[in-house]
Amino acid sequence: MRKAVFASMMMATAMTGLPLAAADEVALSMPEGFRAEVVAVDLGLVRHLTVGKGGWIYAALARSKDGKGAVALRDSDDDGKADDIRYFASGLRGTGMKINDGYLYMGTRTTIVRWPLAAGVVPEGEPQVMVSGFPVQRAHAAKSMAFDGKGHVYVNVGAPSNACMEETRQKGSPGQQPCAELEQQGGIWRFDASKPGQDQMRDGFRYATGLRNAVAVRWNTSADALYLTQHGRDQLNQFFPELFDKTASAELPAEELHRVEEGDNLGWPYSYYDQRIGSRMLMPEYGGDGKIRASDTGFKVPVAAFPGHWAPNDLIFPGSAFWPEAYQGGALIAFHGSWNRGNAQQGYKLVYVPMDKNGAVDGKWATFMDGFAGPGPIKSAGDAKYRPGGLAEGPDGALYISSAQGGGRVWRVTYEGN
Amino acid sequence: MKAIKCAALLAFLSLPAAGGDDSEPGAKPGAKLYETHCGTCHQMDGSGVFMMQPPLRRAPRANGPVGGVMEMILSGSAAVPPGSSDYNSEMPPFDFLSDEEIAAIATYVRTSFENTGGAVTPTDVADKRRSWTAN
Repeated sequence: MRKAVFASMMMATAMTGLPLAAADEVALSMPEGFRAEVVAVDLGLVRHLTVGKGGWIYAALARSKDGKGAVALRDSDDDGKADDIRYFASGLRGTGMKINDGYLYMGTRTTIVRWPLAAGVVPEGEPQVMVSGFPVQRAHAAKSMAFDGKGHVYVNVGAPSNACMEETRQKGSPGQQPCAELEQQGGIWRFDASKPGQDQMRDGFRYATGLRNAVAVRWNTSADALYLTQHGRDQLNQFFPELFDKTASAELPAEELHRVEEGDNLGWPYSYYDQRIGSRMLMPEYGGDGKIRASDTGFKVPVAAFPGHWAPNDLIFPGSAFWPEAYQGGALIAFHGSWNRGNAQQGYKLVYVPMDKNGAVDGKWATFMDGFAGPGPIKSAGDAKYRPGGLAEGPDGALYISSAQGGGRVWRVTYEGN
Repeated sequence: MKAIKCAALLAFLSLPAAGGDDSEPGAKPGAKLYETHCGTCHQMDGSGVFMMQPPLRRAPRANGPVGGVMEMILSGSAAVPPGSSDYNSEMPPFDFLSDEEIAAIATYVRTSFENTGGAVTPTDVADKRRSWTAN
């Protein structure tokens, strides 16, 4: 049983005290007993976010606002709306934002930095540079990160290309053999979480390889393992019209959820995953034809797979006792939504993947929240009103969701029972 | 000279199937080429993709000097200095297309999506290629 909730109707006014324009609002659907409200609007391009002490929410910005690349916000009078909003991180911008061991960490496009974080404090001044030396790249530069609670930070270093072709996104260009990008990109690098001044290649350990881009990375404390999502490649029909029709190109490749162990290879760019037949397939730039399987390669297969191009951009394991049992232990994934499914874009939603306490998927994934894009039709990604991009859990069990599209807003989702 | 250029432009614009374009009758020349080479990333309605591929709708390059769109087609993101754009995707060069095809696409972009930059001719494209080779 699901019900539609006009999230913003619960929020009568914006921070300015003025009524929000009705055109800015969307009807969000969610399971019975959950309630969503808008915490803040017009924040800028908010990406990942995290919740600290004193009710502060910290979010990284993909584009700096007035020269500052992160924002802290707080609801000081407990009316559900942020009334204290402060920008920080001068001269920076990025995606990753997490708290670990009393520090606020931010992943810019080329560094991991941190500020000491006392309770109730918004970071000021220059941060400590923890890791630098990442390649400068235009595409897939988000340095999202996860902490294992044992002194390590795991950083996504996305591959700068679509399928490691010899000529960037050029029809007819074969894949590089071997793919040179994998030497310093297309993987997860592990670092000391508390040691400043590290260099990616000198001090980092390549924990896993063969991934195109994993904006969503999170440590599952119950399973004591790293989980991430893989963004599948684009443009199968455009480059291989004789092998993939437009429907196949919209559905493929799968977006993949992985449990990642040290040394894993997830198969990009030599393979992709076809969720329709449940198999890893040879990438067409490497001789694949849509039918040749890549079964004996040792490439890892996902624990769950989703329709193509939905763009999973964050995941979280809700651990709160405040949530109903049906939503404990598994993974909530925020899909940013597609731009690469012809004239019918989709996937602007949150999905729940049920798991047991050891992190094994024990049920079929299902939509948890939907409606962010608005009523549609969504022919182009720009038609979507909002696109969920970041997830965080507060100490009281509230779930926070960010959207950069639509001016930059944050929702708060709570479970209030039936 | 100006008259000759205008005549060439008119001749080019009146071609029903410029650059191998097999659009439906009445469709703008270049529409089919746009769909094949550009529409996936920049979206069919030219709206672009937030933070990834820039919109072409009311884009400065599609409303400014004649070379704006053509240079992007010929060079891809190499035409944009690193760090000067909020859009992160790599655009490949489409210099393998013919002068006629590039002119048709550039004209389509500069006369669609609420743009008023106007037409680009195959001669404009050839001149641009020649000037780059000379340099």
